[in-house]
Amino acid sequence: MIKRLILITSTLSLAACAGHSMDTERSELAEARDAIAASKAAGAERCAPKLQAEAVAAFYWAAHEYTEHDIHPDENAELTERAVAKAKAAKAAAGKNCAPPPKPKPKPVEIIKLDGINFPHDSAELTPASIAILDNAVATLKRRAKINVEVAAHTDSSGKDSYNQALSERRAASVMNYLASKGIAANRLTSKGYGETQPITSNETSDGRAQNRRVELRVMN
Amino acid sequence: MKIGLLILALFAFALPASAGLSSIEDRAEAVEAQTEGNNSYHAHLARKFAFIAVDEKGQHDLAAAKEFINMAEEHAAQAGGSK
Repeated sequence: MIKRLILITSTLSLAACAGHSMDTERSELAEARDAIAASKAAGAERCAPKLQAEAVAAFYWAAHEYTEHDIHPDENAELTERAVAKAKAAKAAAGKNCAPPPKPKPKPVEIIKLDGINFPHDSAELTPASIAILDNAVATLKRRAKINVEVAAHTDSSGKDSYNQALSERRAASVMNYLASKGIAANRLTSKGYGETQPITSNETSDGRAQNRRVELRVMN
Repeated sequence: MKIGLLILALFAFALPASAGLSSIEDRAEAVEAQTEGNNSYHAHLARKFAFIAVDEKGQHDLAAAKEFINMAEEHAAQAGGSK
């Protein structure tokens, strides 16, 4: 009797240790498998990570439960349905969250400095001296007819940031309009004010501030 | 003699189940700690698998519990730690 008992116990123990406790290839899991593959392809791992993880976890749990030979058929079905539902939700969320990242703005390949361009205080009007310099720029742009440029205007750090930003935008637009008025095609020109954000030297001295107050043409192609 | 061999075999197969240095619960807690604050796919999946492992152990399915906790630890490693 004792021998039989030990034999039975041993057999049961070995059976419990044997085999894999998951079967992910079962036909009952086909829908969940497909749904998870679709959500993964839609970028859900990156854009809806929690939902995708829940779908995959439910899938593997169901894959395990099915190896228990339908001991809990309701539980198996519930886990499979949960995997499908989560995967579908992950795919939908990925569709919303996975917008392609914005294209990087083109970086200038060359900067044409327009030394000597000045403006009256708090003004975007071009002085006669500045116009002479811009006429040289017009000639350059006509000679190099294939380049597109951004007119970039900068200020020093005196005054409020917001004021400097607005002023630089007006000055950049003023220069761009002048270039366009002299026959440079508008589709080759853009303007941008950078305010005081891009100093080229210290703003501690008057000389430094003068260098930082500048306009330049940024060749974008 | 036979009885002795059978008992030896029984213990030999029982050993791997208890030979783990940490319990399933301890390992699940370690996975939680390792991925705390990490919201990546692998971190979420690691925590889910750890939860399932503890649940399976509660249902006395130690083989499944070990398989799930191993998967949890693999994904926790891929998650790159806590954030």
